Amino acid sequence: MIVLKNVSKSFKTKHGRKYILKDVTITLPPHKNIGILGQNGAGKSTIMRMLGQIEFPDKGRIESDRSFSWPLGLSGGFVGNMTGKSNIKFVCRLYGKSAKEIKRIVDYVKEFSELGDYFYMPIKTYSSGMKSRLSFGLSLSFDFDYLLIDETLSVGDARFRKKSKEALLKKIETCNVLLVSHDMGTLRDICDVGIVVKDGKMRYYDNINSAIDEYVKINK
Amino acid sequence: MIKKRGSLKIFLAVQNALFLRELSMRFSSGRMGMFWTFFEPFFQIFIFVLIKMMLFGSGDNDFDFAVFLALNFTAFNLFKNIVVKSIASFKANKALFLYKQVKPIDTIIARSLVEIFITMTIITIFLFLGFYFDFDISIKDLTMVVFGFIYLIIFSLSLGIFLAVINVFVDSVSKLINFSMTALMFSSAIFYSVDRLPLDLQNILSYNPLLHFMEIIHGFYFEALDDSFVSYQYISIWTLSLLYIGLWLYVKLENRIISL
Repeated sequence: MIVLKNVSKSFKTKHGRKYILKDVTITLPPHKNIGILGQNGAGKSTIMRMLGQIEFPDKGRIESDRSFSWPLGLSGGFVGNMTGKSNIKFVCRLYGKSAKEIKRIVDYVKEFSELGDYFYMPIKTYSSGMKSRLSFGLSLSFDFDYLLIDETLSVGDARFRKKSKEALLKKIETCNVLLVSHDMGTLRDICDVGIVVKDGKMRYYDNINSAIDEYVKINK
Repeated sequence: MIKKRGSLKIFLAVQNALFLRELSMRFSSGRMGMFWTFFEPFFQIFIFVLIKMMLFGSGDNDFDFAVFLALNFTAFNLFKNIVVKSIASFKANKALFLYKQVKPIDTIIARSLVEIFITMTIITIFLFLGFYFDFDISIKDLTMVVFGFIYLIIFSLSLGIFLAVINVFVDSVSKLINFSMTALMFSSAIFYSVDRLPLDLQNILSYNPLLHFMEIIHGFYFEALDDSFVSYQYISIWTLSLLYIGLWLYVKLENRIISL
């Protein structure tokens, strides 16, 4: 369960203060895969970052007894001049994994990401698709309660996209996802429920299809 | 299910990961990374011993000048590296704040630990070389020398945290610091012991806190020197104020630094 209590978040811009969330109180039920919809700039990614506890509300609180992954976005959170392998090891160490577990995860990510020799080359030589392969593979090998996924499923070539989607569908048998996506097909396949973010408000729909309908209406 | 970890356990895991990462980055920076890390101080000392011998000749000291320089440069480099690396730390490690268990201050601590580790290695090499080439490396009071180093580390870390937080919001701090490091090098009793200077100059230089730390370290290392110049009260005030203000600012601004 995730509870938002009177959460406000805003940013100062040259044209005044822009509210992402304005005094939002909402309870998201447990064991659901949640799709987050909204137009560009509505604050979907900021909400993900707040759930991942690397961005903080100006007012109010976000409470949950579940564990969240880091927000899986396009930027990746990798260090450019370290190899893919040492980046994987680094993240494993951050999560206090033992040497044996690290080896298992490194092997798994190497196989999943299909990077070949690039796995042993510095990240700065990677294309953005390759980076997201690596970070997606890595996130699958941890056991979080919630995976925070921000658009990463829509990069990479068609074959890898299919593979990640299948891997994710298998993963959500044991964990849940919070998914930001503009791809309605993906949202329908993976998510059970939805949230639409608009004008500082968050609306919860207990069926992803009605959330999508609402989102389509906004875009008209 | 991810097991809930205690905060000490998380801190140690983060330090372990960051330490190994910093170390491998230090040694992979260019092909000569490892070489320069350890040999830079030797060249530094070699050059200054040479200059001194050419200007003043050798043998007017009641202590070994090369050992004196080696000791002072090791301490000064430790100070300089901790401060300079700390200042750049938040911006350089921005990408890592994606992982919520990495707090900005962790990166400063890890970088400082790497500097301490490298310094300890350099000291070991120095002692070995000194022993092998028959320099007089005997120490008057080892405990107090170690105390001096530890105090210096705390001071450097306090200054580092303080300046790192300022540097996030004021751009030119790091430039200013690089500049003042050269000034500090000449005004911090690295090439001389304070008691060999004219009294007027001693009074002016006594405002520099780093000078007091240097005086503690070489004052307790060499039989011929002492710590009579050192004001322990003065450096304690500096250290505590910097630490207090630095941590206070850090706690206030931590969330903003994370979501930079």
